[in-house]
Amino acid sequence: MHLSLTRYLAATIAVVLAAATPAVAQDEYIMRAEGTASQLADVLVLPLEVQAGGAEAQVAAGTVEAAVRADLDHSGLFSLLTRDQVTGKTRGHYRIDGVLAGLPTGGGSSPALTLRLLSEPGSQVLLSKRYQPGPDRLRATAHHFVEQVILMLTDLPGISLSRIVFARGSGDRRDIWCVDYDGEGLLRLTSNRTLNLFPSWSPDNKQIAFMSFRQGQQGTYLLEAATGTVRMVGETSGSNLGPCWHPGGQELVVALSKAGQPDIYRLGLDGRVIRRLTVSESIEVSPGWSPSGHDLVYTSDRTGSPQLYIMDADGTGRRRLTFEGKYNDSADWSPRGDRIVYACREQDITQLMLIEAGGENRRLLTDLSWRNCEDPSWAPDGRHVVFASDRSGVFKLYVLDVEDGSIRQLTKGGEPDTTPDWSQ
Amino acid sequence: MLRTFALIGMLLAALLVTVGCGGKKNVPVVDNTATVVTPAPVEEVVEETPVAETPAAVTNYATMSPQEYGIGDVYFAYNEYTLSAATMSTLTANAKIMKEHSDVMYVVEGHCDERGTVEYNLALGEKRANAVRNYLTSLGVKAGQLRVTSYGEERPFVSGSTEASWSKNRRAHFARP
Repeated sequence: MHLSLTRYLAATIAVVLAAATPAVAQDEYIMRAEGTASQLADVLVLPLEVQAGGAEAQVAAGTVEAAVRADLDHSGLFSLLTRDQVTGKTRGHYRIDGVLAGLPTGGGSSPALTLRLLSEPGSQVLLSKRYQPGPDRLRATAHHFVEQVILMLTDLPGISLSRIVFARGSGDRRDIWCVDYDGEGLLRLTSNRTLNLFPSWSPDNKQIAFMSFRQGQQGTYLLEAATGTVRMVGETSGSNLGPCWHPGGQELVVALSKAGQPDIYRLGLDGRVIRRLTVSESIEVSPGWSPSGHDLVYTSDRTGSPQLYIMDADGTGRRRLTFEGKYNDSADWSPRGDRIVYACREQDITQLMLIEAGGENRRLLTDLSWRNCEDPSWAPDGRHVVFASDRSGVFKLYVLDVEDGSIRQLTKGGEPDTTPDWSQ
Repeated sequence: MLRTFALIGMLLAALLVTVGCGGKKNVPVVDNTATVVTPAPVEEVVEETPVAETPAAVTNYATMSPQEYGIGDVYFAYNEYTLSAATMSTLTANAKIMKEHSDVMYVVEGHCDERGTVEYNLALGEKRANAVRNYLTSLGVKAGQLRVTSYGEERPFVSGSTEASWSKNRRAHFARP
C-alpha cells in the first residue's frame, strides 16, 4: 500500500492526501482547503517502546512523545486520536510510533531513538528516522521528526523547528529575546539597558536585524544568533525603523529619516544605500518584502492617515492596498505570497486584519475581547501568525491559526512583549 | 540671569570663607580647632575662583533641565504633527531663550500616547520633533543647537489610559543632550 500525495494545489494552501489502495481510496484527507469543509488528518501517537535504560529512559520517551503530540496539535493539520477511537475504525489514519534503545547520550555509537510514521490500516511505513539525541535535545528531536512528517505529507514547511524573536521590557528598556515556537527555550539575546525593537530574522535564521538606541540614538544593528555578536549597519542619524530582510538575505529594507522624515530605503548589510524607494514629505514606514522579493508592502500617511501600499522593488508602480479603516499599519506578507496580515485601528482598538495581495477579501481575524492586537508576523507555514496583545493588561505574544481562528498564548510573565518576528 | 548672579555671589562668598580659613591655618592653633579648619584645600579653590566667574552660566545650563529655566514642552492632537497656536506661542518663548544662549544644545524628543502601533508612533514622534525643530530654526535658533529624536510611545510621562494622560504624552520634550 502506498499513499500517493497530490502536492500543493496551485495558489492555495490546500493539500489533498489521496490514498491509492482500496482500503482507504474512498477517503480523501483534504487538509485545510480554505473556505471548504476541510478535514483534519487523523493521527494516533503511540507511547515509545523503551528497550533499555530503565526509569530514566521512560522519562525521556515520555518527553519525546509529549513533544511530538504538541507539535502535531500546534500544526493545526491533525486530529489526535486515542486508541479507543482507532478500535474498529475502518477509515484510514496515520500512526506514529518509536523505539528508544537505551539512555540518550548525545554521542553514543548505536542509534538510540527511532521514530516512524505509518499509514493505517496496512501499517505501511511512510517515514522512519533514527536519532542519537543528547539529553537536552529530546524536544528538538521531536520537533525535527514532526517537521519531516509535515514536509512529507504537505510538501510545505511546518513550524516545529521555528523560533520567534521579540522585544521584552517596558518603556525605554527593552531587550531582544528569542523563544521556540511552542513557548519553550526562552533566551535573552541583548542586554544593553536601552530601547531595542523590531527584531527581524535573516532568511537563513542565522542573523537578527533590529533597531536599538544602544549608542544613544536609533540605529540598525545585526546580531549573530549563534554568538550574540552585535554590529552596526552603517551610520545613519534619525529614524532607523523596522528593518526587514530581503528574501535573498543580502540586503535589508529600513525606514530611515535621512531626508527629514521616514522614507523607505534598501540598505546593504554594510549600511550602503542600494536604493531610496520613497520620496515624500509624509511618513513612510513598516516595509515588508513579498516572498518573491519583487515587491514590498509598506505604510504611508500621504493621504492624511496611515494606509498600506505596495510598490515594486525599485520603488515604482506604487498602488494603494487598503481603502477601509483610518489606521492601517504593520503589514506582513505571507510566505505563500497570496495574503497580507496587518494591524487595523478602529474605535481606539487595534485588531488584526487579513487581505489578499490583490486587495480582495479583507477580513477581521480578531475581536474586541482581544483588546489591542499588534505587530503580526507570519509563520513559515503561511497559516499561523504571532502577534502582541494586551488582553491580559500587559502585552504578551499569542499565536493565531488564521484558518480556524484558534489562539494560544506564547509568552508568559509580567513584562511586556512586543514586535515579534517568526523565523522562516 | 538672576540665578547666574546668585551663583556667582555664592561662589564669591565661599571664596571669602575659604580664604579666611586659609589665613587661620598659618596660625598655630589648638588641636580641636585645627580639625574643623583643615579640610579646606586653600590653593585649589583660590586657583579656580577667577575662572569660575564667567563659565558659571555654562555649567548651569549643562546641569539644569531646560524646563528649570523656562523652556516649555509642547503638545499635539491625536495622530497629528501640526503645531497649534498654543504650541507656536510656547516655541516663540523657547526660541528667545535659546538664541540668548546659542552655545547650549538641546535634544527635541518626540513622544506619542499609547494608542497606535509601536513603529508608526516612533515615526510620528520624529515628525513632531522635526516640526518643532523647523519652527524654532525659522525663528532664528541655530540648527546646530537642536538634535531630534523620537521615543514614540515608549517613554510616557503619565501612565493611564484616558485622554487626560494621553494628552500629556503627545508632546515634544526638550532635554539636555
